[in-house]
Amino acid sequence: MSQSDPVSGGSRSLPARERAGYRRLMLLGGKLLSALVLLLVGSLVVFLTIQAAPGSAALSVLGEQATPEAVAAFERRHGLDQPVLVQYLAWLGNALRGDFGVSLSIASGQQISSLMASKLPTTLFLGAYALVLAIAISLVLGIYAARHRGKTGDTVATSISVLGISMPDFWLSYVLIFFFGLSLGWFPTYGYVSPFVDLPGALHAGFLPALAIAAPMAAVFSRTLRAVLLETMTRPYVTAARSFGLKPRFVFVHFIFRNALIPYLTIIGLQIRYILGGVVVVERIFGIPGMGSFMVDGAFLRDLPVLLACTVTFLAIVVLVNTLTDALCSFLDPRRSR
Amino acid sequence: MSLFHRNSLARRFLHHRTALAGLVICTCVLLAVIVGPLILPYGPEDMDFMATLSPPSMAHPLGTDSFGRDVLVRVLNGGQVSLTISFLAIALATVVGGGMGLAAAYHGGWTDVILMRFADLLFAFPSFILALLLMVMFGFSTSNIIFAIALVYLPIFARIARNSTLLVRDEPFVQAARLMGRRPVAIMLTQILPNISAPLLVQASAGMAFAIILEAGLSFIGLGVQPPTPSLGGIMSDGREYFSRAPWVLTMSGLAISVALLGINLLGDGLRDLTDPRLRERN
Repeated sequence: MSQSDPVSGGSRSLPARERAGYRRLMLLGGKLLSALVLLLVGSLVVFLTIQAAPGSAALSVLGEQATPEAVAAFERRHGLDQPVLVQYLAWLGNALRGDFGVSLSIASGQQISSLMASKLPTTLFLGAYALVLAIAISLVLGIYAARHRGKTGDTVATSISVLGISMPDFWLSYVLIFFFGLSLGWFPTYGYVSPFVDLPGALHAGFLPALAIAAPMAAVFSRTLRAVLLETMTRPYVTAARSFGLKPRFVFVHFIFRNALIPYLTIIGLQIRYILGGVVVVERIFGIPGMGSFMVDGAFLRDLPVLLACTVTFLAIVVLVNTLTDALCSFLDPRRSR
Repeated sequence: MSLFHRNSLARRFLHHRTALAGLVICTCVLLAVIVGPLILPYGPEDMDFMATLSPPSMAHPLGTDSFGRDVLVRVLNGGQVSLTISFLAIALATVVGGGMGLAAAYHGGWTDVILMRFADLLFAFPSFILALLLMVMFGFSTSNIIFAIALVYLPIFARIARNSTLLVRDEPFVQAARLMGRRPVAIMLTQILPNISAPLLVQASAGMAFAIILEAGLSFIGLGVQPPTPSLGGIMSDGREYFSRAPWVLTMSGLAISVALLGINLLGDGLRDLTDPRLRERN
């Protein structure tokens, strides 16, 4: 850079910083735009997949003995006689206004958006709860293992995380139900309390399902954190900071942890997909009326509009979270916006 | 040189506790799953209505389920089904995803953009939800489970193959092959593939664990392998219905999944340690 404009000399710092800020804004805009494109293409692909599936929606709702006239009337009423792309654009236009059409077989004729209005916050609460638990557990385990490298503590913490990724969430759910629910009676094993009505109650009732989703995630996060911390500890600037006589805790927080945060956050962003997958199974086990249960019901009854709405909503959550973590990372690491 | 190298990798493998433990567990699981069904006196669908929901005993080491079917036999047969599905799915994802990434990086330009955008799109979906959607749309057959898992896991292989190919694409030996007028496909298969296979194989071993969890999850909620064919997720799903009367059905099938996953995860971790040059110096 200094070779390309040798003239600017002393006044370089201010314009350069302004330019960096501008560039960062442009980069963020570009990321938002590509997220929107991804969402658009993704919803089109899901729409086409559902259209291409064998079997007719009309027959599955009206029954196999439906007369051709009834089928034609049904298809006209739901716009199923139009070309696929026209149907997609109509669906997209409605979806952007928050209207996902009506459910065909779960709750016949009801608006999907009004059904989802109560289910989406439930799932977001469970997912966020699980994410917070996973981050908390992984910070403790990962930092502990890295600081006690090679000692018994490290072995124990690392073994816990290997066991964690060897327990799928649905199997862990039953272990938790058995020990903490049935044997000790500390937590309820079934049902749901809305966090908007009773927050402590919701945190209590949601603990086991959230922990079941969080444990495999926590294992992945803490392994990553341990590996990254250990790698950062060997960097020359850490050795330099230590040799300046800075306090070990200060070096850890400002030199090691701060730099390890970026790969750690990146892994968290990538794992959001698995949290949402875990939500689907765990909601079913614990009888939580969220998006996951809704989608599985839709899957069993082949309620195509519900499946479409759920899949696109999950896709939107993932894309949104990934864009956010991406932005957070480039905020933490200015090198990324260059 | 390469023989010496291979020797040293094998020797380091035997000295690596994690990798060795993983290999031992995986071998035991494979042996049990392959040999067990051959030597045990029951079939997975043999019912004994005189002994329904009987607890573990000499005749039925892991007890029986509500139809009087032997849980050990069902777990071993189910494990065979689950492992076969997972293995085929990951093999398919490795070949197709690896090929996509290789072609994208080698050709660059529009091939790269289109293939990798497709991979990004697949990667944006929550894996379980994409698999669930595909199962509902195309039916609950075993081959569809394999395709669904392969499609979900394909972008990860594409990414890894692409990144590794970019590192060796401009090496002198690849340029030499190009100057000799060899066809791109031949160059990719004979010059580049041997150099990118290690990270792909490490990822494949980690992918097996993922595939087992995904298949078990689908079968558990009833959208995967359909009864009466036994699968680990399906047996657990049966077991939860009478968990309070016969806890061994759910517990034993769950433990079976955990043992298999533990072996695969340890093996995968060990292989990653051994093949990652950045870690090699320090360990």
